[in-house]
Amino acid sequence: MNGDFLALLPKPAVPQFGANAPTTQPLHATTVFAFHCAAGVIIAGDHRATAGNIVFSDKTEKILELDSHSLMAIAGSPATAFEMGRTLQTSFEFYRRSQLQSMSLPAKIRALSQLLRNNLAGTIQGFGVVAPIFAGVEPNDPSAKPQIYFYDPLGAQFEATNYAGSGSGSGSIKSVLSFLERWGQPKPAEMSLEQAVVLANRLLMTAAEFDTATGGVHPEVREFATIKLVSPPGIRSISTAEQEQFWKEASK
Amino acid sequence: MTEEPYRWLEAIGNRREYISEQMKGATPVFAVSRPEGILLFGVGIGHSKVFEIYDRHGFAALGHPVDIEKLRQAAIEAAHVEGFNRSAKDVTLRRLISFALSTTLKNSFEQIFSPPLIVESIFAELGESPAHDVLVRVRYDGNHHYETSGVVVAASDRKREDEAAAWLRANLKTDDSVTRVAGLCLVVWQALADGKNLAELLPPDVLPTSVAGKTVEAALLDRKLPGAVQYRLLELK
Repeated sequence: MNGDFLALLPKPAVPQFGANAPTTQPLHATTVFAFHCAAGVIIAGDHRATAGNIVFSDKTEKILELDSHSLMAIAGSPATAFEMGRTLQTSFEFYRRSQLQSMSLPAKIRALSQLLRNNLAGTIQGFGVVAPIFAGVEPNDPSAKPQIYFYDPLGAQFEATNYAGSGSGSGSIKSVLSFLERWGQPKPAEMSLEQAVVLANRLLMTAAEFDTATGGVHPEVREFATIKLVSPPGIRSISTAEQEQFWKEASK
Repeated sequence: MTEEPYRWLEAIGNRREYISEQMKGATPVFAVSRPEGILLFGVGIGHSKVFEIYDRHGFAALGHPVDIEKLRQAAIEAAHVEGFNRSAKDVTLRRLISFALSTTLKNSFEQIFSPPLIVESIFAELGESPAHDVLVRVRYDGNHHYETSGVVVAASDRKREDEAAAWLRANLKTDDSVTRVAGLCLVVWQALADGKNLAELLPPDVLPTSVAGKTVEAALLDRKLPGAVQYRLLELK
């Protein structure tokens, strides 16, 4: 028994697309990003899912908690991405319970990479492409630093020293974050939690100006981004009430 | 040997004797349903006796450590496959035990040319309230029963096991904290280990929290924990 949950499944957990893959308009979900702040790592996403020029949903949750110390932000095909998230959630908990210890952070990062590589057929056909962001912190280590990784759709993993973004609106966001890293006062990495949360919402609103596939963030009607903080104690969701409070204070 | 029914029955009888002999010296484990959640309790020497199985499920066992591990792994695998293929709500003790675990134990016990699993166990499933908690006493031969009193003890001696459960039911009060319940479990654990008559046992004014040279294990399937995972270890001191 080696704690490998995938070995228990009779078929690949993530759907494989064959030569006769359907040709309907695929569903996509954007935009997600993560950056370091003084409190840890902020990871955020909008709520819009689109199929071509159709807004499929403005209530989509794209930040998936994999366990108490790691999460994944999805961009790309939701069908494949959600299944990857569910597979990782079960795999990490299965490992922790069966082996009586948590999976290490490098192993979790690698596990997502392996799922992406196993999705090669869907990626090549362009139907099941997923380009996620992973954020996590080593469990049971109060001095551990949270880390951000981004992936290419074939499974290559890259550590983001400052920030990472994925999805169709991420170009705008990365541009702004790059600017702030160089000339910001304070820089994102120096921001308090309150400042970082406000910044995350503003970034998504900025991205929505240029990308129709980014949306669902409207502070004026209490619609905020999905935002989570990764820090040594674990993951903390920033509630709508907290975001509203931070937003109002920043607007004074 | 198996071509003659009598020889087979004799072999089965021998296995019961063998298991009984092997279990001597194994100390009991407890599960108690409380308003805060389900307390799982045991005392070990190096090997754990109390485990998490799934989001709302726990397990406590005594016996051979390797066999406890086999049963634990079987339970964890079955629960996670079910939870992944369906949902966490579909992982229920009734299905786990009926279709995965008790058949494994019974087959192991009756296959007389291979060693039996030497393990006595308790499985617990947390509900929304104590009335919805599920406690199951599972025996080495796959036999099992659902306990509705909220207190289950698994011990190597059935008579002492019943006495210990009755003592706990008689001495638990509705407003006892989980820490106090764990202390009472330790009192009755010590009495069983010392071979004391439980009819004369009274709860001490100061409840113990440790046993010299042994590890006291307590875990709570906590009704109030946020998130999916309800299992947490308890510090008694």
